Amino acid sequence: MPDPQPVDVVLVDDHRMFRSGVRAEIGDALNIVGEAPDVDSAVALIRQTRPAVVLLDVHLPGGNGNGGVDVLLGCRGLETEGGQPVRFLALSVSDSAEDVIAVIRAGARGYVTKTISAADLTRAIRRVADGDAVFSPRLAGFVLDAFGAAAGEIAEVDEELDRLSAREREVMRLIARGYQYKEVAKELFISVKTVETHVSSVLRKLQLSSRHELTAWAMGRRLL
Amino acid sequence: MPTPYERPAASTEAGPGPRRATRRTFGRPTEGKVIAGVAAGLAEHLGWSVRLVRIGFVLLCFPTGAGLVAYVFLWALSPQTVDGVTRDGRRLADPADAESVARAGTEPGVPEPSEGERDATRILLIGGALLVVGLVVAAQSAGLNARLGILLPLLVVAVGAVIAWSQLDDAERGRWLGSSEGPRRFSVARLAFGGVLALTGLVILATRGRSLAAIWDIGAAVLAVLAGVVLVAAPWGLRLWADLRHEQAERVRATERADIAAHLHDSVLQTLALIQRKAGDPGAVTQLARAQERELRSWLYAGPTGSDATLAAAVAEVAHDVEDLHGTPIELVATGDRPLDDGGQALVRAVRESLLNAVRHGAPPVSVYLEVGPTGVEAFVRDHGPGFDLDGVPEDRLGVRHSVLGRMERHGGAAKVRRLEHGTEVALTLPPPAQHAAGDATTVAPTPPPPTSPAATSPTPASPTPTTAPEETREHA
Repeated sequence: MPDPQPVDVVLVDDHRMFRSGVRAEIGDALNIVGEAPDVDSAVALIRQTRPAVVLLDVHLPGGNGNGGVDVLLGCRGLETEGGQPVRFLALSVSDSAEDVIAVIRAGARGYVTKTISAADLTRAIRRVADGDAVFSPRLAGFVLDAFGAAAGEIAEVDEELDRLSAREREVMRLIARGYQYKEVAKELFISVKTVETHVSSVLRKLQLSSRHELTAWAMGRRLL
Repeated sequence: MPTPYERPAASTEAGPGPRRATRRTFGRPTEGKVIAGVAAGLAEHLGWSVRLVRIGFVLLCFPTGAGLVAYVFLWALSPQTVDGVTRDGRRLADPADAESVARAGTEPGVPEPSEGERDATRILLIGGALLVVGLVVAAQSAGLNARLGILLPLLVVAVGAVIAWSQLDDAERGRWLGSSEGPRRFSVARLAFGGVLALTGLVILATRGRSLAAIWDIGAAVLAVLAGVVLVAAPWGLRLWADLRHEQAERVRATERADIAAHLHDSVLQTLALIQRKAGDPGAVTQLARAQERELRSWLYAGPTGSDATLAAAVAEVAHDVEDLHGTPIELVATGDRPLDDGGQALVRAVRESLLNAVRHGAPPVSVYLEVGPTGVEAFVRDHGPGFDLDGVPEDRLGVRHSVLGRMERHGGAAKVRRLEHGTEVALTLPPPAQHAAGDATTVAPTPPPPTSPAATSPTPASPTPTTAPEETREHA
């Protein structure tokens, strides 16, 4: 996906080794404008540079002790010079559902694990910069579980916040099976844009749903 | 993790157990006790017969009461033990063993004394009281003046003290500051009752044959003195209490730290050492790092798992196995779970076979998705290789045909191999366990599987019943 347009990125991670690793891997394709090791300096840096995408580690020192969530809350409503909102992509080694769901609900546009390949990470950052959501297979699995979709709960109307629609469920299932958006689109005979719409809608539900099971589930299940 | 290095301390000095276990430290066991377990503990400590020790105590009681004094003394000074571990987490037999410390930290509550033990205690108490009464009456009638006026209050004081003191045994800090409300309230009530009893006895003793007005005077004076003492001693007491709490917290933290240190030492440090030695072999290093990461992750996030006999756990294990075998990373996503039954076993083996195929013939990334729902189990194994056609596989290649397709069909499930643009996907399905458990798994005719691939059928509007697998399938595990 050759995209000539440079995307400004801020790296927030408390491990210097990891930051320099990521910089070496994606620095050619993207424009890395800054790095921050903790919550407070991250908020300051993001407010100053206003990048298109912030690559945000879930676990960070400083702030109120909530790591990435604190950064998200501290940068709420921030916009880039182009008038787009500053978007966040969560990056974590943690498999714990609470962490992941917490950053997503605080406003992150996606979640990927640190084992992701450089090419995939670049693609994910571009996607987030375009306003789409990025779901790793694992996050899709979380979502299916959290909405009870794996157990067969399907929304009657698409607007229902507490459940996934049948189509959204299918998209999530395919992503969980390791399909790329393109493959999902082909599989379901829809366009990639429609897939992106579905994923964004799932993200919105995840952020807005008051479904109490969501929290209960995240608390009760520490791993997946 | 196979570790080539021994733990330095453990291997050289404190070998496991037998050398040290010649004589156990003195403590009162909770099992096999009659009153407070002093005799049993002493017998165990000295290696004598319990019966002998008990008879000795009783005999010593008679002329002067020395046995009684010794008993109470030992009781007050010895710690209570559960399976050789004192209640504050020290192991009596072998204190050098970090593992036992960790275990003691997570030791569940002390078992309640059994019905028989309680009965024995009650009978002994009542018997003792009757004996004392009998002795007093006998002495009285023999013309000896036992001075009931003093003896009776003394007795009341003694009973009150015993009731209040017997707290010390089972009402340890945990109970006191306690998790469970019931026992705590009970022990408070017992303490209050004992205290009131002792106080009453003391008052009776102090006011023998005096008027009420005098009692008031004495009472006021005593109260004033008490208040003064409390006022002077309160800061001290508070400080002492705070210190105690602090020390307790410190000890808990130290145990935890020891636990973590031991774990890191056995896992991460060993792996790091191995990685340094194998620095020239990137494949081995990656494999080591992944295996270590997985181990650490499961330790951090999973906590102590109840049983491994669930489908998701078994699939995860298989995925990790294959990963270790071939060094290819496998992304596993699982939603829902159910106990592992015969069909589940078949599915797990089929997943393993499919993964091996994917790793050998396909290309990474390899992913597994397992979904356990009310309509059954679905598992997808996918790779990104060039793909292959089942029809193109020769008849004599048994791998896919037998171990995946045949196996699933024998258990009422189904398997499908799909060729995608990039790679191959094996879809395995299994009916829900209730339907499955109805017949013998090996003889049942291949039932038509529930709607399988979401691509092939329209989205399945499933019944919203929760996923509760029947308990009886658990025994197959």
